[in-house]
Amino acid sequence: MIAVLGLIVGVVAGLLVRPEVPAVVEPYLPIAVVAALDAVFGGLRAMLDGIFDDKVFVVSFLSNVVVAALIVFLGDKLGVGAQLSTGVVVVLGIRIFSNAAAIRRHVFRA
Amino acid sequence: MSNQDEQPENRLRKELPEEVPSPPPAAEPERPHAEPERPPAEPQRVSAEPERAPAEGAEGAEPPLTGRQRLVQGVWPPRVTRAQLIVAVLLFGLGFGLAVQVASNSDSDSALRGARQEDLVRILDELDDRTQRLEDEKQGLEKQRQELQSSSDQAAEARRQTAEKEKQLGILAGTVAAQGPGITMTIDDTKGTVKADMLLDAVQELRAAGAEAIQVNGVRVVASTYFTDSGKSVGVDGNKIDQPYRFKVIGKSQDLEPALNIPGGVVQTLEKEQATVTVERVDKIVVDALRQVKQPDYARSSSR
Repeated sequence: MIAVLGLIVGVVAGLLVRPEVPAVVEPYLPIAVVAALDAVFGGLRAMLDGIFDDKVFVVSFLSNVVVAALIVFLGDKLGVGAQLSTGVVVVLGIRIFSNAAAIRRHVFRA
Repeated sequence: MSNQDEQPENRLRKELPEEVPSPPPAAEPERPHAEPERPPAEPQRVSAEPERAPAEGAEGAEPPLTGRQRLVQGVWPPRVTRAQLIVAVLLFGLGFGLAVQVASNSDSDSALRGARQEDLVRILDELDDRTQRLEDEKQGLEKQRQELQSSSDQAAEARRQTAEKEKQLGILAGTVAAQGPGITMTIDDTKGTVKADMLLDAVQELRAAGAEAIQVNGVRVVASTYFTDSGKSVGVDGNKIDQPYRFKVIGKSQDLEPALNIPGGVVQTLEKEQATVTVERVDKIVVDALRQVKQPDYARSSSR
């Protein structure tokens, strides 16, 4: 419950504050958000599986974000930033879909 | 991501708790959670498929918590635990980043921000082309405008010249009044000895001396003017005029006066006929007698 509240508060705060995204962070933010979404879906699935652990969630969340940003950074340095970030998004999207499928099976039994 | 190699093991582990619900998670809480939580997405899903059916069959036998029940438990009642708080903080960050990104992406000025480089280049090219086309069009229109302006200037110039010519011709034809320096000549002919031919001689002499506009007693003298004798007086273009005959002449007075006064000239001839002739130079003479414009019946302009 508290977690859901945290998400809602975060969205509302982001919409209200509307901070200017620093130029340094700008290219990494979308990928980081997608990676974090992946982590959240993974965590939700783990919870439904009854194997949720907050420590794992924290680590996976942060490492996901960091690794995604790192990949984008590396891609930019190598000159393949666009392709690499597309790849990251594709991979993360597949994972999100599979996690969502598992969650669906738990929730709807279908 | 380093967990990939551990997936099989992980899958096994996940299967274990499903089939024997309670004991393994309690006995070994850390390990199993570490991986299955999210990284091994693909394999886990594949594994989950076949697994579900037996699992649910097992659930029917003894009631373990289903996913839905766990979800409901997690949401309600709200519990302030360390895990909840930490997850809340992380989700706050996620929501914040999400909202910020969405907001910055939907800014009106950043419609091009998300565009790819090729698209941007294409858009730029299109803009360049468009600019070029518009520039060409602008040049063409400007040229056209210039032409129109110059042609209208020419038309105005032509109109001005025509008006000027009309004035000049009007003075010649006697249809407009004229003014300028010149002379007046008054012929007092009390005895009625002055005849039309003498007046005609005077007019010819004046014309030869450069007279530009002449009127006699209110009758304009033009190219077609004729003088006739009618009794004691004289007719000019059919208008009878009586003495004294007053000539108003516009022209260079230094030429006109001597031309009249030369020995054996107009003045001497008239004086021989007992007439009194007075010639005066005047700075400003107004010749305001007018003639009607008469359209020629037969003659047509051959120009044009």
